This record gives sequence, C-alpha cells and structure tokens, in this order.
Amino acid sequence: MRQVSAPTPVDVAGAVRLEGVRKAFAGRSRNAPGRVALDGFDLEVRPGEFLCLLGPSGCGKSTALNLLAGFSTPDAGQVLVDDQPVTGPGPERGVLFQTPMLFPWLTTLDNVLYGPRARKERGPAAKERALDLLETVGLKDAAAAYPHELSGGMRHRAAFARVLVNRPRLLLMDEPFGALDAITRVAMQRFLLHLWERDRMTVVFVTHDVEEAVLLGDRICVMSGTPGRTRAVFDVDLPRPRELELTDTVEFARLKRQVRESLERSL
Amino acid sequence: MTTDTVNHEVGAPALDEPAQLTLAGGRRGPSVSRLLYGLAGVVLALAIWELLAYLRDDPVILPTVQETARTYVDYLGQKYPAVVGQTLWQHALVSVARISVAWGAGVVIGITVGGAMASVPFLRHLIDPLIEITRPLPPLAFIPLFIIWFGIGETSKFLLILVGVVPIMIIATVAAIDAVPEELVQAGRSLGGTPAYVLVTVRLRAALPSIITGMRLAMGAAWTSIVAVELIAATSGLGYLINNAGVNLQTPLVLSGIVTISILGIGFDALLRLFQRSIDPTHR
Repeated sequence: MRQVSAPTPVDVAGAVRLEGVRKAFAGRSRNAPGRVALDGFDLEVRPGEFLCLLGPSGCGKSTALNLLAGFSTPDAGQVLVDDQPVTGPGPERGVLFQTPMLFPWLTTLDNVLYGPRARKERGPAAKERALDLLETVGLKDAAAAYPHELSGGMRHRAAFARVLVNRPRLLLMDEPFGALDAITRVAMQRFLLHLWERDRMTVVFVTHDVEEAVLLGDRICVMSGTPGRTRAVFDVDLPRPRELELTDTVEFARLKRQVRESLERSL
Repeated sequence: MTTDTVNHEVGAPALDEPAQLTLAGGRRGPSVSRLLYGLAGVVLALAIWELLAYLRDDPVILPTVQETARTYVDYLGQKYPAVVGQTLWQHALVSVARISVAWGAGVVIGITVGGAMASVPFLRHLIDPLIEITRPLPPLAFIPLFIIWFGIGETSKFLLILVGVVPIMIIATVAAIDAVPEELVQAGRSLGGTPAYVLVTVRLRAALPSIITGMRLAMGAAWTSIVAVELIAATSGLGYLINNAGVNLQTPLVLSGIVTISILGIGFDALLRLFQRSIDPTHR
C-alpha cells in the first residue's frame, strides 16, 4: 500500500456532537401516529475516533447517521460537526451506503472524480490523486471499467476511493458491508482497518453485527429501540493495529459477550 | 491491498483510451438463430399473402407481392398524383419532417413537464389527472376540433402528433425519475454537488435510459397517427398517399405506403436504440 495524500493533522478534526436530538417521521395518514426515531439522543465522537453505533433495526441509528450526513434535519436538538451545525450534505463528511451507489454510467475513475468535478476542482492534481487512491484500494487496473464489471468487493472499494478523494474529516458508514457475502465482508473489514490506520479520520460506523463493532471500533454506542436512545457505551481497549486474528482471543470474546448482553437487555 | 475479491478480469486498459470491454454471456445483439427465425416469420407471412392473392385473383382486393414490389419501385421515381404530385420518397420525407418536428417538440415538452412534476409534488397532483383524461383519446377524435380552432394548415397536423407524443413522454419521464434511488442522489450531494448539479448529473442522467424508452414509444405513437394527421387537407405525405390511393382503389400503392411507414418506423427506432445503447454501459 502506498502512502498517498496523508492528511495533515490540521485537516483531521471531525469532532461530532449530537445534543438532545429528536427526529420523528410522519405517519401514513393524518390519524396514524408518527414514529419517533430519536428522542433526547446525545452522542459525542472525538476527532480521529472510530465509533460504532450498534443496535437492532429501527433503533434510529441510520436516522442519526442521516442527520450527520445532512440528508435530513432534526426536529429538536443540535447536530454539530467541528462545532458547526450541519445544514446539508457536504464533501467533508463522506458517506458510504449499504450498497456502493456508484454511478453506473461512469467508469471507476470518473466515479472517483465525480466529487472534484462537482466542486469545479480543475487540473491534473485531482486526477492524479484519484489514480493514487485507486492504486491504494487495489483498483488501478479497473480504472476504466464500469461498475457492473466489478465484483461486489471491488465496487465497495471504488466507493471508498470516491469518498476519500474529497479528503473527508468524517466518514459516515451505514452498514456498509451488510449486503456482502461473509468472505468478502471479512476482506472489506480488513481493508477498512488498514485504511483507517493510515488516515485516522473520524468514523461513525452503523452496524447490527456485534463482532464487527468490537473488531472495528474504539468505542461502541449500543442503542435501544423506539425512540432511539443510547443504552450503553463500551470502550474497546484492544490493541491496534487490529487484525482478524484478534477475534480468536479471550479478551475479544469477553467484550463481545458484554456488548451482546447489553444489546439483548435493550430489546 | 490484499483483499481476495478480485475474481474478475478487467484486462488493464490504458487510462485515457476507451476500454475494450467484452461482456460475458453474449448478451449483445441477436444471435444468428434468432435472426433466422425472424426472417422465416417474415417469409412465411409473405408466402401466405402471395397464396391468398393468387386464390382471390383480384388486384384491387389483394395484389400479389410482386405487383406491390413493382409499384413500390415504380413510385420511387414516379410522381403521385401524376404530374402535380411527388414521388414516394418525397412523400416520405414530408412525413418524416412533420413527425420529426412534432416528436422533437413533444419530447422537449414532455421531459420538461415530467421533470417538473417529478420534482414538485403540487404540479404532479395538478397535471396528473389532465394526462389521465387525455391519454385514452384517439388522435382521430381531435381532428374536427383542431380544424375548427387552427384551420387545415400545418398547425393542426403538428398539434395532432403532439397530442400523441406529450402524454407518453410525461409519463415515461416521471416514472424514470421516480425510479432513481434516493441514495444515488444523496451520494452525489455528499460528494459536493450542488442540488442543481446533482439534478442534471445524477437524477436526470440515471433516468435517461428509461426516458429514451419513452422517446421510442412516443416515436411509435407519432408514426401510428400519421395517417390520421394527413387526413387533414394534406397534399403530400405518406398518410395522404395512403388515403388518396385508397380512395382511388390503387391497392398496391396503399400497401407500398404502409411498407414505407413500417421501414421508417423500424429505422428511427433502431437509431434511438443505438443512442440508448451508447449512453448505457450495462447494455453495451
């Protein structure tokens, strides 16, 4: 792996603060009650921290992520990134969806260059950065291929490159590996760990997989059902850099069990 | 990176050149056997036509295939009606011009209105019923109205084609834009695109293949209505030729006109399909 465009420490802020956030969704009809996804939700993520949001489906973890991404606005409370209220989507907050959401009409390289072009970033520098990133994610030879010609894992790595080219301070991931087969999923977890060791940007990672949360996270925020609130927060004091072998250790198993029990209590 | 997911040959194409992409499975183009079956179907239909023509033995009711073909070739260079008229080709060009102008205008109007409806809910609620009301009406029904309102000139003909094209384009555009996943648009926004930039480069771009399907359907509708359109006091055009030849019991010429419409229809659809293919890498 080549060291590419390592962000200077000044770039790497990405402190997240959610305070008393409430978000409700309208019911289907006037009489049907709305669904309160989040109520009085607090969350703090330190710069450079890898935080996992863990919880059952419908606990509001994706809602929290969408608020951070700027795709929706809170009904009450504050959503702050680096002390600035989030007012809409922005390239400094990279989003990775459950499916890669590449643009199927663009080649891998053009997909990666979408962000720089959208921001009118001209000149060869952006293209060079994109090519470097494609090399980093192992897709150098697939630069001219279209998304439908890539395997599932390759598409996810292309999506990573497309987000990283914008040098985000914050990475928001919504069950990004949830739709992958078990083998590819493990490969992508390892890939993400390597990437994060290198760049150390702030990550908010939504998952419902306990093992994944313990393997990846510095901290795990366990959320509970409707309306979503923080149930417990676990510090994951496992050594870094982490490798998959970690999952065989006793400490890992103990932590995993604690988290799982907390999750079960929250149901 | 050492992930083991690379199970796909990409063939290391040069970066600044269009990649030479070969797709597995031969999805592209019809196979030889399919072509042969298609050809056999057409030959069979012609044979039945020929047989019926011999059995009937009345060229006004049903001329033979050869006679139709001869008439077709004759009128490529011969004027109809004689002296003051135009050749089959010139009639065809007149119809093509009418259809191109009206279809083109209809496509632009349809995409604009459809795009607005897909983006602004109240416009959708406002216009949707109007489309549902006008859609089932046959173009023929509008002929008297348009003649009263706009006379017997080109305006009425233009509007008659438009009436067939616009609803199809609106419905296709709205459906195509609705089908674009919201996350694809969100991806564009979070990569730094402004709402307007993402509207064009993601939402409309993602909808384009389906919109072109709508354009193909609308083109079909335009050709379908050409005979009705050229019932309106026309002195040229394939519809006029068919109408007039029919009145004069020149059945081979009627059939020649029909065949010409069919050939042109297939030709324009092929062009649009080519366009569709060129903008959609998954179908290349």
